[in-house]
This record gives sequence, C-alpha cells and structure tokens, in this order.
Amino acid sequence: MELRINQKTYQVDADADTPLLWVIRDDLGLTGTKYGCGLAQCGACSVLVDGNVVRACVTPVAGVVGREVTTIEAIEADEVGKRVVSAWVEHQVAQCGYCQSGQVMAATALLKHTPAPTVEQIDAAMVNLCRCGTYNAIHAAVQDLATGKEHA
Amino acid sequence: MNNRFARTLGWLAVPCLVAAGALAWYVTRQPVTAFEQAPAAEFDPALVSRGEYVARLSDCVACHSLPGKAPFAGGLEMATPLGNIHATNVTPDPTHGIGRYSLADFDRAVRHGVAPGGRRLYPAMPYPSYAKLSDDDVRSLYAFFMKGVQPANQANLPSDIPWPLNMRWPIALWNGLFAPNTPYAAKPAQDALWNRGAYIVQGPGHCGSCHTPRGLAFNEKALDEAGKPFLAGALLDGWYAPSLRQDPNTGLGRWSEAQLVQFLKTGRNQHAVVYGSMTEAFNNSTQFMSDDDLAAIARYLKSLPGDPQRDGAPWAYQAVAANARPDAPGAHTYATRCASCHGLDGKGQPDWMPPLAGATSALATETASAINITLNGAQRVVAAGVPDAYRMPAFREQLSDQDIAEVLTYVRSTWGNHGSAVEAKDVGKLREHTDPASSTPIILQMR
Repeated sequence: MELRINQKTYQVDADADTPLLWVIRDDLGLTGTKYGCGLAQCGACSVLVDGNVVRACVTPVAGVVGREVTTIEAIEADEVGKRVVSAWVEHQVAQCGYCQSGQVMAATALLKHTPAPTVEQIDAAMVNLCRCGTYNAIHAAVQDLATGKEHA
Repeated sequence: MNNRFARTLGWLAVPCLVAAGALAWYVTRQPVTAFEQAPAAEFDPALVSRGEYVARLSDCVACHSLPGKAPFAGGLEMATPLGNIHATNVTPDPTHGIGRYSLADFDRAVRHGVAPGGRRLYPAMPYPSYAKLSDDDVRSLYAFFMKGVQPANQANLPSDIPWPLNMRWPIALWNGLFAPNTPYAAKPAQDALWNRGAYIVQGPGHCGSCHTPRGLAFNEKALDEAGKPFLAGALLDGWYAPSLRQDPNTGLGRWSEAQLVQFLKTGRNQHAVVYGSMTEAFNNSTQFMSDDDLAAIARYLKSLPGDPQRDGAPWAYQAVAANARPDAPGAHTYATRCASCHGLDGKGQPDWMPPLAGATSALATETASAINITLNGAQRVVAAGVPDAYRMPAFREQLSDQDIAEVLTYVRSTWGNHGSAVEAKDVGKLREHTDPASSTPIILQMR
C-alpha cells in the first residue's frame, strides 16, 4: 500500500491491521516515534494524521492510506511544530526524553486547532504520560506558546 | 378407633409406596437410547475426524479442557447457586475418564444427562441442547473421544455442594419438565440450509445456554424458535449475552448474513468484535466451523423475528460535533481514554476496533457487559492462530467506579445511543466479583 509520511510517498508491504507504529519504526526506520504501552494509554507513539494527533500503536495502517502522516522527524518542517520544539528547548523540558516526541506531537496538534488555549484546554489536551514527571515544564512551555511569550 | 386409624393408614400407605416406587424407578432409570443393541464400535478414521468436527461445533473443550493441561481431562470449576462443580475427565481413561463407556452409555450421558448406573449429570452439561444431536453425530463424537483423544489419568474433583442438596435424583424430575429427549427433526417447510442452521444453533452449538434467558428453575425459557424468549438475550456470569434475534438495538437486526458469517469466522465485523465469554466460543469453536455451516447459522438466526416492545426504538446515528459536550460528565475521560481507538465520533476503526455508536452494550438495558469490558478489558482474540493486534485494556486500576459510571453513561447517551445511565454501585459490584482478562492468548487444544 502507498503511504504519505512527512511529505514523502512510501510503498509499504504490510497487513491491513498492522499498527501504523510498527510500519513507521520497523519498515521505514523512523524510530523517533516511541513504543510505550501498546494500548493507547500513554501517548508515546503519538503522530499527526491530517493534523490530528493519533496514537500510532492503535491505528491500523490501512486507515491512513490517502492521508498525510507527520512524525517527530519532520515536526520542525511545520511552522507550529517548529515553535513547539523551540519552546521545549527553551524550557529544557526533556529528562530521559522517551515520551517527549509524543508530547511535542500532542502540543503541536493542540496549537494547530486552538492557537491560544486556556489553562483548562491545555490540561484537557496534554494527557500523555511522563514517568520522569516533566509535566510542569511541559505545561510551562505550552503556556508560553499559548500566550505568545516564547518570542519575548 | 385405633384399629380404624391403622387400617386407614394402611390404605394410605399403599399408594404412597407405589408412588415412591414409581419415583425411585423414574429418577434412576436408564433412558432408552438409539444404540441399545449397537455392536462393538468400529472406529473408521473418517468417523473419528467427523467426530472431532462435531466436538468443535459443540465446544466440548470450553469446559472439559483447561489451558496447559491434557485435553479433555476436566477440572474447570463452575459456580452454581448451590456450590461449585467441576467438569469431568472425558478422555478414554478407563479409571477416571469414559474409557469403559459403551456407545449407549455415551449417548445417555451426552443426550440425556445420565451417567452409567443412572446417576444424573448437572445440567451445567448442556444436554438439554445436545439432546437434539443426530444419531450420526453422537456416533462420530463417540469415535472421536474413544480414538482421537489421549487417555489422561487424572481424577475428577468432587463438587462442594453440601448434603442434601447434592442428591442428584431430583434432576431427573427437572429433566422430565425441561429437557427434550428427541433429536432435532427437520422442518419440512424450511430449506436444508435453514434446517442445518437450526440444528447447529439449537443442538451442538448450544447458543441458548448463554443467549436465552432462564426461568426460576434455571431452565432455558425456550429451546427453539417456537418460543419468543429463544435467544432473546440473557445476563450470565457478569456478561449480557445479547439477543441473536432481529432486534436492531440489542440483537442482529442491522447485521447481514455475510457479516454474521464474518463475525463467527474471524471474530470481528464492522459492527462488533467478540468479547467476554464469546471470545472463548470464537477461539475454541465458531472459527473452526465450515463456511457452509456458518452460512446455515446465519440463515437461521436471520429468520428469528425481533421484538420492538423489548428492543425499543431502532438506533440511528446522530453526529456530535467534536467537543460539543466537553463538560458532560465522562466526556473528558472518553476523549483521553477511549477516543484513540473508538473515535471521538464513536465510530471506531472497523473492523479492528468496534464502534460504540450503535453498539449493543450501549443500547441494552443490562449494563453488565459495558461495565465488565471496561473494568477488565478483553481476552485475546486468536483468529487462525494469530492473536489480535488490538486489545481493550483493563481500566480497573486507573478509573474509579464513579469515573467508569460517568464515561459509560456518556457513551450510552451519545451518537444516538439511548441506553440507561450506569450506576457507580453497579460498577463496584462487578469490580468485586470479576478479575481482569488475561493478556495471554488462550486456545484450548483438542488433541
């Protein structure tokens, strides 16, 4: 089947029910997207599909044929994504870093749909798990992005 | 005076004794079988393999085998209102199994619920359904159990039902009232496909054991399409086994015959994925049925009319704009815990992750299945030897009774769903009485 990932077209030989995550990581070698729980509970595998955040571990690959997938590898090609990464660097959000590609995808999706989210909207959208506990730094970075403070 | 009293007593004693004698005869008698004079059985390999298929249709392994143990050596504990009983060793072991059974003995056990010596089996063995098996299928089933199954030297476990409730003879009276004793008779007005489907559904498939509501004596309220309660949906072991009739909400009204075949063959279709006890029935039985037999089942089930009075107004999808009800209780839990798979629009990702919009569990009056699957997650669906890629996780450690009640109430009242609200106390009750599903794929071996 033919997939569009990060503005490129890939020919993939996979069963229809293969999780998108396996195709991205194992078949295409894009290993920035992480495997966490495999049950859509943690968000480490978050990618964008047509600008919406989805959990690649529970997305059958057949469901994204004809749609535009964005992974962490190309996030800085996106204007919003680029701002998110800068804010992440500014706030030194990452600790071990394992969940961070998913966190960046979730923040990017939020800001694409809601450029100036309220605190409640940020809390409601940023639900990916982080075992290091970087939640405060994540929240601060997204808060800056929401209020335009990251340019200050 | 004394004399007259004694004489009256004497006269009364006669009919009492006669009645007691008749009762004693009735409750211990050996039912007549078609194989009374059967010569010593011959075991043609084709007959053995035919019997293996009948054992698949009948899902004998479901109770008589345990994962990781010798096939058909018994041991499964089953809870009854009187106490726990255990499925028995049905391997051809001469001491603990059925190695000494003649074909007639085997038939009496399978179709009549009577073991050698006249001891009555508990109707946990679905002989009221197996009574409908054909003579040919009983003969081949016997051949399979005698020659296709390895003897296992494993003793049976006693039941823990206390005296006097453990007396078995009253079951004979129950049988007289509730268990048929003639094989399935084809209905000449119907075609061969329908009759084959009726035979499998009522007989070996024993679908009614779960899907037909039971009466006060734990009898299935109907054993064939002549009764309205037949396969009309029932609550059993913490799951609501839905209607298999043409009810659009709680039954198969929106399913085509082809979708029904797909469901029984692959465990999933655009409407639903097997879960709860049906996962076991799929893993061990329905997926092994031939395409012809599945088509027959579908034809038969699609002929059972629904009951609008019981089922309510037919469900129709209602679109809900994303975040239209962000403050509704349960909406946030749904968005963060459920929507990745089942979609913010409730449509799921057919055929892999089932829709909740229009799902039986979201429309049925009984909330048990919705609560149970949320608390405990799904067992692995193993189709053609391959475990499923996607599994419903257990939320019992992450969500409180109140969280689960709220999210399920949200699901049952969104996208046109019109199920009743879910109560936190019902979640609490099921939480106590159930365990999380195993993430290990379980397929019971027959050889």
